[in-house]
Amino acid sequence: MEQYHQQLDRVFQALADPTRRAVLGRLGQGPASISELAQPFDMALPSFMKHIHFLEDSGWIRTRKEGRVRTCSIEKKPFAAVEAWLSEQRALWEGRTDRLERFVAASQQQEKPE
Amino acid sequence: MIQSPNPELDLTISRVIKAPRSAVWSAWTDPGSFEQWWIPAPAKCKVVDMDLRPGGAFTTRISEDGGDFKPHLSGCFLRIDDLERIVFTNALVGGWRPAEQAFMTAIITLRDHPMGTDYAAHVMHKNGADRAMHQEMGFHDGWGTVAEQLARLVERRS
Repeated sequence: MEQYHQQLDRVFQALADPTRRAVLGRLGQGPASISELAQPFDMALPSFMKHIHFLEDSGWIRTRKEGRVRTCSIEKKPFAAVEAWLSEQRALWEGRTDRLERFVAASQQQEKPE
Repeated sequence: MIQSPNPELDLTISRVIKAPRSAVWSAWTDPGSFEQWWIPAPAKCKVVDMDLRPGGAFTTRISEDGGDFKPHLSGCFLRIDDLERIVFTNALVGGWRPAEQAFMTAIITLRDHPMGTDYAAHVMHKNGADRAMHQEMGFHDGWGTVAEQLARLVERRS
């Protein structure tokens, strides 16, 4: 479970950056080479590569090298994790509602002399 | 006035609570009561501000395992309809000041029901990038273990 949370943290951290979101947005249209992906950004290649590595480590993308060209493509799995996030939020609010219900029920009981 | 829910970002929890609306309202709006159910044990909640009026501050702190109280929710109320509705957000803090981190607006609705109160929480979230932060906050709430803690609570009560 702890490992799952750490993994999920990485998935969300990856999204918390505009460059990485833009890269994912571009890859949503289909695979692209590193140079193609880097082109819209005013950024040195080593800095850009850090973002690519982050995306790869967090599982958002896959890279493949053919000759001198490294091609990136998007992975489907993290999208499921993001969906899972909403169900976690649901669980949080369900929990709150359960506790509110119990609290109110217990208060009602106390008011009634038995 | 709930506008077209977005299934990817919104959630609605509704429940019939077998108690009059006034009892549910007081559990929500009395800080001492609110502290007892908002956060799952063993974490403790402290209400710093609960200024029940539009623009009023809504601030809570959390202590995990009896340690120091740390910031938890920091927001403001947008609308308060006595015994009917509470709307709050963390996009703004007290006095309508824009918040540093914003990710959600919650609409709590209470309606009469033959069995007691029809309680609903409609929660709208901001898009993906901000989830990282919310996820972290959710973690404080112990969402990973909510079910487990609930089970313990039920066992203790029964």
